[in-house]
Amino acid sequence: MKRAFLSMAVFLGIISFLAAAEVGLDVKEHVLPNGMKILMIQRPGVPRVVCHIYYKVGSINERPGTTGLAHLHEHMMFKGTKMMGVTNYEEDAAIDRRIDELMDKIYREKFWKQDGGDKEKVAQWQKEADDLIKMEKKYIIKDDLWELYMKNGGTGLNASTSYEVTGYYVTLPANKVELQMLLESDRMQNAYFREFYSEKDVVMEERRLSENRPGYLFDEQVRAAFFTASPYHWEVIGWMDDLRKVMKQDIIAFNKRHYTPNNAVAIYVGDLNPDTIIAMAEKYFGQIPKGPDLEPIRTYEPPQYSEKRLSGEGPAASRITMMFHIPPDGHADTQPLSLLAGILSGDTGRLYKSLVKEKDLATRVMAMANPMWYAGSFSFMGYPKTEKNVEPEQLEKEIWAEIEKIKTEGVKPEELEKAKNKSEASVLRGMQNPMFLAMRVGRAELNRGWRSLVEDLAAMKKVTEDDIKKVAAKYFVKDNVTIAIYKRSMGR
Amino acid sequence: MKRTLALFVAISLIFVFIGTGQVKSPQDLKFPALKFDPPDPKAYRTVFAQNLRGYVQEDHSLPLVNISAIVHFGNIFTPKDKAGAGQLLEGTLIKGGTKTREGSAIEERIDFLGGTLSFSVDEQTSTLSLSLMSKDLEEGLGLFFDVLMNPEFRADSLAISKGRLIEDLKQANDAPSAVLAREFETLLYSDHPLTFRPTKASIEGITQGNLKAIQAQYFSPKNIILAVSGDFNKAELVKKVNAIISSWKNTKVVYPTFSQKFPDVEPGVYFIQKKINQGYVSLGQLGIKDTDPDYSAVQVMNFILGGGSFTSRITSKVRSDEGLAYNTGSRFTYRWGFPGTFSGYVQTKSATVGYAISLILKEFERIRKEPVTDDEMATAINYYLESFSDFFTAPAMTMMNFARLEMQGKPLDYYKTYRDKIKSVTKEKVMEVANKYIHPDKMAIMIVGDWEPCDKGSDKFPGPLGKLGKVQRISLRDPLTGEEIKPQ
Repeated sequence: MKRAFLSMAVFLGIISFLAAAEVGLDVKEHVLPNGMKILMIQRPGVPRVVCHIYYKVGSINERPGTTGLAHLHEHMMFKGTKMMGVTNYEEDAAIDRRIDELMDKIYREKFWKQDGGDKEKVAQWQKEADDLIKMEKKYIIKDDLWELYMKNGGTGLNASTSYEVTGYYVTLPANKVELQMLLESDRMQNAYFREFYSEKDVVMEERRLSENRPGYLFDEQVRAAFFTASPYHWEVIGWMDDLRKVMKQDIIAFNKRHYTPNNAVAIYVGDLNPDTIIAMAEKYFGQIPKGPDLEPIRTYEPPQYSEKRLSGEGPAASRITMMFHIPPDGHADTQPLSLLAGILSGDTGRLYKSLVKEKDLATRVMAMANPMWYAGSFSFMGYPKTEKNVEPEQLEKEIWAEIEKIKTEGVKPEELEKAKNKSEASVLRGMQNPMFLAMRVGRAELNRGWRSLVEDLAAMKKVTEDDIKKVAAKYFVKDNVTIAIYKRSMGR
Repeated sequence: MKRTLALFVAISLIFVFIGTGQVKSPQDLKFPALKFDPPDPKAYRTVFAQNLRGYVQEDHSLPLVNISAIVHFGNIFTPKDKAGAGQLLEGTLIKGGTKTREGSAIEERIDFLGGTLSFSVDEQTSTLSLSLMSKDLEEGLGLFFDVLMNPEFRADSLAISKGRLIEDLKQANDAPSAVLAREFETLLYSDHPLTFRPTKASIEGITQGNLKAIQAQYFSPKNIILAVSGDFNKAELVKKVNAIISSWKNTKVVYPTFSQKFPDVEPGVYFIQKKINQGYVSLGQLGIKDTDPDYSAVQVMNFILGGGSFTSRITSKVRSDEGLAYNTGSRFTYRWGFPGTFSGYVQTKSATVGYAISLILKEFERIRKEPVTDDEMATAINYYLESFSDFFTAPAMTMMNFARLEMQGKPLDYYKTYRDKIKSVTKEKVMEVANKYIHPDKMAIMIVGDWEPCDKGSDKFPGPLGKLGKVQRISLRDPLTGEEIKPQ
């Protein structure tokens, strides 16, 4: 344990430099000796506090073969600890170990053998496991954590996993924040993964829900074709085959690696007293040992070199998607690209005016810049007016023509100013909702620090028309694009 | 001008710091007392010129203003042959411009100011909402009321809106969740204005004149309630609004009355074929109005049954124990002036559709026959009491809540009495309302899925689905024509 490197807890007080004050982003910050950061935003008034904890882990921290693990792990974090969800930990754990042994035997028989193994043996082991699962039920207190939060007035109770971050959410009455500290610090260090096998089934059902969303399976393939090498290649939910084969030891190893205080930030927004929050955080999170430093992702996205095309058919609306690689969040080009998306999109944007209003070729058309932590995409999407027999290919030509206009003629000063105004006001508007504010600030902290929200706003204001022209010329080129055309056909 | 920061809530929050020892169990936690009294709608109620009513709250925490106008007009007020008029009104009220402004000019200006202006039409109300920086309030108010008072629904915007709506109709049968929601309502409410759906013909038949007539008839100051919050001075705001609407005349509106009688639905299984790998299921019947004296008891009962997410019986059994579904539970929906619906719901892989339904039906029977436990009651009641202040976390939301209360004719002490009503619910009352409103023998079980694997079932519930009741196969309607799609 490298205790020598642990700094004393330092309350940094109100850290709001000028730009932050301009947008009213007053974040109080405290770092625990184990490296965990506590952020607080005071919102006096209604006695509620949004309590979120974010871990710097998502699907990009998976590898081929373990896709979907981060999300499944998020589900499993609700299955108890030594303290929660169980009446007799030792008795329960003994049964749980026997279930795991049987499931491991089944796993090897079913998936390690090319012919699917001995089905009779598998059935016998499965029956034994089912009997043990029934036996274990007497020790399990179902959804203990969830119930405890709810009976204490917890709302916004949820969790989510993204490519980069996993978050655990609850909003509590202002006098009950300590409950969150107790429960979250407990599951940070003592998570115990009961009911693993039924929860795997739940997650597979969640994936089926996605599969039944019109166009999802095609979009998943498009993403996989666009991101070829980096871990953005797969969706957060993971491939079905990996979900089928994931084992409890995968979850345990994942938990040990990523669920450490130095890999987390807790944020509190609401009617709170920072001194009280800090004292409680010291007490609950402060005693958790620091974990090892973690390597960020290893494989970045290689240059594309040539245009890619995909086509598909199915029971969903016809459309075209054009995706260009752009740099990750924090790169200087992301601000002009985001503003360009604003200039192109919306009902006063260039694409709507041209393709929907003037030429009557599309019903909806949009552009989105999505700079992520280690890679980025800029997407155009258009829905052709099928009543007029317009095909997606025609929209492709039109979108290229709009791109060319930007490359050659640039954008007008008033277009840029409008996009800047919209962008700035939308940041302010987002601050009205305490939950949304907690999400923005907490997630930003894990990447480039919460101050990046303010710095980005300042950088955005400096973008010129020339910057926009340059990024269009640099990124909107044929060998950087993946074009996906989807056409409606009934049935699958 | 007296600039008063409105007292938002009367709060007495006493933090008693509990010492430094870390608590080892949640049961050992001792929370400091917290008293919360809800804001009183009367303190925010304002009557503008022309009897335009509103709820107004100053909030200077950010330099923003939110203003919404809730209009007593919704889709239900359009006749069957004009179904879709509400959606077209939604698409053209802003884009169609006003007597003096092009729609594009309004949108350009709002966008340039970094604002948002949107309009939506629901079942019985429509809402125009503006959000913008407080420095632009005066200009924003001018645009907002111009749209509300003087819309023109110009032909180009109407054509675009029709085109979009017709393309949307083509997608109406794509998502199984949308198909289930629509067809389940149609089954329960039958042929009624609540279930009229637009077709290509009805959309094409709607004219600029129809939309103008709707606006002229219903968009009248006394039929509108404002919800305003943000960084402004209330007295100044009232003065500005009054000046803008001084010439806005009230018109006499006679609201149609609608039948409250809905035909009995034949119990059994209603199956809609879709080649997907899960069955999407709703099983239930008509529910109650939210003005019913049993409302609070029904809320508590349904929380325990399937509305309280993981703490509820259905979620615990179907999802957590059996791993059959990601989404499952039960819900009462509510609608103004009509009974809502009650349903259990689940989406599960085709083979376990029958089994999941059987588990939900068992829970329906159980809550009718066995008293709920003291722990279940405590969790449900504490949830409603302890989360009560969540209704008021954002001034914009609080003002909207108050405006909706008044629009629907609910008592203004609704929030004041809310907690007492919840507290008064007993275990006996829970069982009483379960028996009164849940009738498994009369329920429609609707499934959208792939017939063969759903009907075949699995070990725990081998098919056929007929074991659950008489099976009726339902043909989907062609969303463009409203006609049944004949099987190929």
